[in-house]
Amino acid sequence: MEHPVVTQGLGKTYQEGKTVVRAVVDVDLQLKAGEVVGLFGPSGSGKTTLLSMLGCILQPSGGSFRLFGHEISGLREKDLPPLRKRYISYIFQGFNLFPALTVYENIMLVLKIKGLTGKAAEDLARGMIEEVGLNERADFLPRDLSGGQKQRVAVARALAVESPLILADEPTANLDHINGKKVMEILRALAAERKKCVVVATHDNRIEEIFDRILTMEDGRIVDERQRSS
Amino acid sequence: MLYVALRILLYDKLRSLITLIGIVFAVGLIFAQIGIYLGLMETSSVIIDHTEGDIWVTSKNSKNFDFSQPFPEYIHDQIRSTPGIATAEKLIVAWGLIRQEQGGTEQVEIIGFNPDSGIGGPWRMREGDIRAVKNGNFIIVDESANKRLGDIQVGDYRDILYRRLQIVGISQGVKSFTTAPFVFTSYKLAQSLVAYIGPDNTVFVVAKVAPGFTVEQVVASLKEKLAGVDVYSSRDFSRKTRLYWTIETGVGFSFLLTIVISFLVGMLIVGQTIYNSTMEHIKEFGTLKALGAENREIYKIIFSQALINALAGYLISLILTLASVKFYQAVGTVMVVNTGLNLGVLALTLVMCLSAAAVSIRKIKHIDPAILFRG
Repeated sequence: MEHPVVTQGLGKTYQEGKTVVRAVVDVDLQLKAGEVVGLFGPSGSGKTTLLSMLGCILQPSGGSFRLFGHEISGLREKDLPPLRKRYISYIFQGFNLFPALTVYENIMLVLKIKGLTGKAAEDLARGMIEEVGLNERADFLPRDLSGGQKQRVAVARALAVESPLILADEPTANLDHINGKKVMEILRALAAERKKCVVVATHDNRIEEIFDRILTMEDGRIVDERQRSS
Repeated sequence: MLYVALRILLYDKLRSLITLIGIVFAVGLIFAQIGIYLGLMETSSVIIDHTEGDIWVTSKNSKNFDFSQPFPEYIHDQIRSTPGIATAEKLIVAWGLIRQEQGGTEQVEIIGFNPDSGIGGPWRMREGDIRAVKNGNFIIVDESANKRLGDIQVGDYRDILYRRLQIVGISQGVKSFTTAPFVFTSYKLAQSLVAYIGPDNTVFVVAKVAPGFTVEQVVASLKEKLAGVDVYSSRDFSRKTRLYWTIETGVGFSFLLTIVISFLVGMLIVGQTIYNSTMEHIKEFGTLKALGAENREIYKIIFSQALINALAGYLISLILTLASVKFYQAVGTVMVVNTGLNLGVLALTLVMCLSAAAVSIRKIKHIDPAILFRG
């Protein structure tokens, strides 16, 4: 059976004035269901660009990218939203929660966008809030939550929609170590339980033990790959 | 999405309040300008619109109701003998001076009509009867003249064009566009009172069409038959009069300019606040896009904000406008607020707010996904 994510020679080049920037170069990657992958590397190494391409919000300029059997390279812009809706969830460094909506409403909004409504959606949202330990804060606005709690909402939001691929960009960057670790542990446990494929772009070496596999990028290339020693 | 839009608006209460005040100001101004304009136009053709007649015959090249020239009375006979005419009445509209009790003079617009038929006369009396102007030096003055002529009472005497006339009735709702009060009297007295009319001339003939004929048919045959006069249907003459005052005096342009400015100010206020709100939520909208939301789903949130603003602003403006009609009346200004105006202003408000949101839509369409990854 084909892996959820398969890339071959994946690349992205930008034109910045007269200079051609090769942000991602020849990335060959296979991601398995239930696997939590850490994407490490210094700033400018291409982590975010790779994450954007895997999330179908940036089109590759070269190579092949198959997402659950769909060839993404060469698709038109308007063909991407349905794929994102079906397969992908995100967790961002800045949480990106609607400040005017409560925890519950933030999750319900995304469920609605993914096509889930009614009682089933309400149960799913309440259930995820409970799983990330925010039951008491379901009706709070984001401004009344700590950074760690906000990121737990983002995790709940990402997992509630049942997307098989979760992409997280620096999810612990705005959190202290304890909260960062707690969020990642929740993410890891829930992802493993639901057989989600998770890719986390991060600088945070303190959470290395969370990952099944660690990829290190430099100058747009994957220069190192380590499996977690069991 | 309407709910999300409402929550966003309620979250930032101060900004929403400022937006709402801006819309109420702009829409209220549009309401007032159009309402007063309609009031003025209604006033300008008030006698044509309230006179029971299908056809108006005027002197050649007459531009409006108020400044028509006399033409020979025998044309009245020609009109009466035309097939399709049921009745035809002569009517005099002329200018005169009235001497005030305390000295000084005011200009008045004299209407001479046939008191037996009542055609061209006042249609609502506060005091007295229109037939009372028959056989004597009698006049009816409209109550709106109080401001210009002082306290008018039935039984009072006034000098018009050096003739002492007695007030025998007070009419209602015949406010003059020119601000010169209307004074009604018998046709015969008006003819003798105003020297420039002459004893054998009239200013208008107002005719009714007989059953079995259309107004258009009879207008066409009168135009063919009569020389030296113009023939209009009542609707056309009313429109001609309104257009004259709208275009020739520049009053229409002045109102239009204020309406356009109000519309643009409203659009700028709504556009600015919705754009700011969109920019503040750009990452959240970007996240929705990243999660697979199509542009139209996000557009719904933006347009819903504009829609809520528009409806709330419109409703408040409508209530304030309805409340202010009495105030305008008290200061002597006629303001028309009818269903047509309400629907028209609602449409304008929706266009104003929804087109203002279009700038934000453009921004959403071109969200750079990279912003999602910047902290």
